[in-house]
Amino acid sequence: MNINIGWLYPDLMNTYGDRGNIIALGYWLKKMGIEPVINKISVNEPADLIPKMDIIFMGGAQDKQQEIVNKDLKNNKGKYLKEAIISGIPGLYVCGAYQFLGKYYKEADGNIIDGIGIFDVYTESPGMNIPRCIGNIVIESKLFSGTQLLGFENHGGRTYLADKKQAFANIIKGNGNNGEDGTEGFFYKNSIGSYMHGPILPKNPEVALFLIKKAVDRKYGKSVKLKKLNDKWENKAREFVLSNL
Amino acid sequence: MKNILIILVCKIIGWISRIFNLGSGSTWPGHIALSLNKKFIRQVINGNSHLKIIIIAGTNGKTTSTALLRHLLEKSGHRVFTNSEGANLLNGVASSIIKNSNYVSKLNFDYVIFESDELNLPILLKEISPDKILILNLFRDQLDRYGEVNSIALKWLESLKTIDSRTEVFINGDDPQLYHIGTMLSGKVKYFGIEKKLMKLKYVPNDVDSIYCPVCLSLLKYDQLSYAHLGDFYCGNCQFKRGEVNDFSNIKIHYPMSGLYNVYNTNAILLLLKSLNIVIPAKAGIQNKWLSEFTPSFGRQEEIIYKKRRVFILLSKNPAGFNQSIQTVYEMVKNKKANFLIILNNRIPDGLDVSWIWDVNFKPILDVANNIYVAGDRVYDMNLRLRYEGSKNNIDTFVDLPKAVDAIVKKTKKGEKFYILPTYSAMLEVRKILLGRKLL
Repeated sequence: MNINIGWLYPDLMNTYGDRGNIIALGYWLKKMGIEPVINKISVNEPADLIPKMDIIFMGGAQDKQQEIVNKDLKNNKGKYLKEAIISGIPGLYVCGAYQFLGKYYKEADGNIIDGIGIFDVYTESPGMNIPRCIGNIVIESKLFSGTQLLGFENHGGRTYLADKKQAFANIIKGNGNNGEDGTEGFFYKNSIGSYMHGPILPKNPEVALFLIKKAVDRKYGKSVKLKKLNDKWENKAREFVLSNL
Repeated sequence: MKNILIILVCKIIGWISRIFNLGSGSTWPGHIALSLNKKFIRQVINGNSHLKIIIIAGTNGKTTSTALLRHLLEKSGHRVFTNSEGANLLNGVASSIIKNSNYVSKLNFDYVIFESDELNLPILLKEISPDKILILNLFRDQLDRYGEVNSIALKWLESLKTIDSRTEVFINGDDPQLYHIGTMLSGKVKYFGIEKKLMKLKYVPNDVDSIYCPVCLSLLKYDQLSYAHLGDFYCGNCQFKRGEVNDFSNIKIHYPMSGLYNVYNTNAILLLLKSLNIVIPAKAGIQNKWLSEFTPSFGRQEEIIYKKRRVFILLSKNPAGFNQSIQTVYEMVKNKKANFLIILNNRIPDGLDVSWIWDVNFKPILDVANNIYVAGDRVYDMNLRLRYEGSKNNIDTFVDLPKAVDAIVKKTKKGEKFYILPTYSAMLEVRKILLGRKLL
């Protein structure tokens, strides 16, 4: 068994340690006896690789890098990514990547940058004088009810959802989407958009296992039983930080 | 209030705060001086026109480079003062002026070297017009505090465009973004780098911030790479490429510290000295003697003897710096094995976010580690990081730092060396344990 992980723009959307999510997916897959095949898909790679992936990941970056990615998504890879998400390929899109999946990003000067519009959200810059949302963030998602998920957010843009019920999670501590409506991220088909760095997967193994389960189900059928793994250290890492917040 | 009076008052405040150990004696006097007179720094500096001013900025290597430059200037017979390490803000600069000034606001020194962090360079340049500015490097560092690399680069560029045309700027010419800043300046700019035969990296690593062309946004290509995004770069799409750099490949230099990053720091300082017309006697012998007499600053490849073990501390506070520390210890330990203690804190001086450890490549440490110990405020994050890197070693995990130190000492034979890689506040903490007192 193998699982193809598509890592979108690893050399561009890579500023905030989000690479840890790829490392975590690889780690868990190997433990389960499934071979992780990591496919780096950046500007120079062909777009039609995207729908062939079993899990897709894309992280956050700086503005200039995002400009390059935006151009490539618009001219080339955006429609493949949209198709992949609609077809139910599980994916994780963090921070800048999450914003790209929305309808648009409105910059401080009013300039509008179009997103690929697969998530019914839009993001606005609050202007230069409004502080960024920076700090530890604790959320609870209906996908993993009863478990508090932990991350670190660092974003200027505020994201607003057309339907708050489509949020990935509710905020327990921190800002999440916009610091106003108590929501964090977006969930659609099998794709998660989120502002959680940290990175999100190593300290929240249930999210990693969710993505893997969905990928295995799609590829090998729901009858495949995944090996249950020991996540003692992951939970300890999370609890240790949560208890000190 | 007259600056003479301010200096007197603030010197007294400095003494009192030192005697009674009231907070940090290194920034209080400056804070008060600036609140009494906003133009304090500018006015006192302008009243000391004999003083040559050097500013050293960058993400990594500021403290080491400042100390090295000071050492070499003093060896060649000059009087030098600096702002104390960590006192990078204007109040730290003002404090160093108060401390080193006499009662008629005269600074009886030939040189002052001000160390400046990423955010403070533009602020400092508004106050003073230096003779030389050295820009060492620019890497991601404490993103929750300093912000992203591109926005810092933009602020630096805007600020450097306003400096006096007589100010000479020294820039790392192996860094594409910094080199580009250099080409945008109208004044005097010189570039330092390292010789190509030292550039041995085979692939572009993941701790890079500036691998896209600053002119046309295409992916840059590298003939050779030294570390992170530093190397012999060119753009395949436009004319942008690395220019001439001073790499001192024609002389044999005794580099006083290990690691590629210290080749950069040393070359930068040698280039700066050259431009100051401080002729280090042409015979390389004297220069190398002076270099070999240099003692690293605390926590930067510092060796401490503790319970008859040799403890080697390498401050490791961001991905590029940590990767360089790892590379350096790997080269030192290679073919043998050693014990390691990694301490991850996330206090204000470390940055609250620890996501960055996932941009560090820990594999070389795993390859040469006997026992690995982890400690610090975010000890379990470090435990996970090493396990996910594929560690087959047992990761000994300690919430309590003194216990971690005891454990590694116990597992290291007398006379043998072990290695500590701490973040900034962790470095201060572990030194306190090793030295039995708080010593800067």
